[in-house]
Amino acid sequence: MKVPYVDDKPTRGGFRTPSDDDLGRMIRNTVESWRPQRGPDWSGVLIRLANSGPPPWLLYTAASAALVVILLVAFLVGSALQIGALGPQPVPSNLH
Amino acid sequence: MTEEGRELDPATEFRQLYDQQYLSVYRSIRGVVLEPSAAEDLTQETFVRAYRARHRYTPTAPPGAWLRRIGINLAISYLRRQKLARVLPARLYTPPDRRDYDRAEARDVVTKALATLSPKLRAAIVLHYYDGLTRDEIAAVLGVPAGTVASRIAKAVAIMRKSLGSDQDLGPERSTSEGALRGR
Repeated sequence: MKVPYVDDKPTRGGFRTPSDDDLGRMIRNTVESWRPQRGPDWSGVLIRLANSGPPPWLLYTAASAALVVILLVAFLVGSALQIGALGPQPVPSNLH
Repeated sequence: MTEEGRELDPATEFRQLYDQQYLSVYRSIRGVVLEPSAAEDLTQETFVRAYRARHRYTPTAPPGAWLRRIGINLAISYLRRQKLARVLPARLYTPPDRRDYDRAEARDVVTKALATLSPKLRAAIVLHYYDGLTRDEIAAVLGVPAGTVASRIAKAVAIMRKSLGSDQDLGPERSTSEGALRGR
């Protein structure tokens, strides 16, 4: 009597692995079973938006502009008062 | 897409977009971080970031893909920070409360198998099998070439099959991971 061939060859270590279809189904079932405990909370988004302060790009732009202003004012004040390297430099007397 | 078959505009219909996409964005993020409470927090943060950037959204991809891109980038950054925090001295690092995760998920073989993957492989797997995105769409979400997506999926499938195979007996091995490489 002929017996139909059934492929039950075990994989390495003697265990079997799921097919792609099985794997896809298992992943989908698992992910679809995940439910958030709190759920959608639009008011939470609004609260976060209100508490989050200015966006980073605005902060960096403002900080860069402030730095430029500080450097410019320091240069102008240093030039006017002839402070440090911005003042007149002594001329070496031993030069001919 | 809405029931009418049109996509919502984030600039003018953000509230509806939030209600429509919240659950799937949460699941995609949880697929990467695997922690329910962190996933909820990151989902809210995703919508906060998206709301701020809603006027800069360009309809080259559906709003759902745009939200997933923000969410998955946030999730990967979160895990990177967690990894960095673990190398800090113990008193500077307070580990997250994982008791609920350990209790509820430790017996879940699929979650355990997902946990064996790196966050980038998990992102590719969840976007492929749960969200049903094509390689090109996943590439757009993750910001990597489509070939990289294919290799990530194939690698993740191989690792997961091995991991699941050692956990349970699901029948004979029938195919290879080539299926994951097929574009939809």
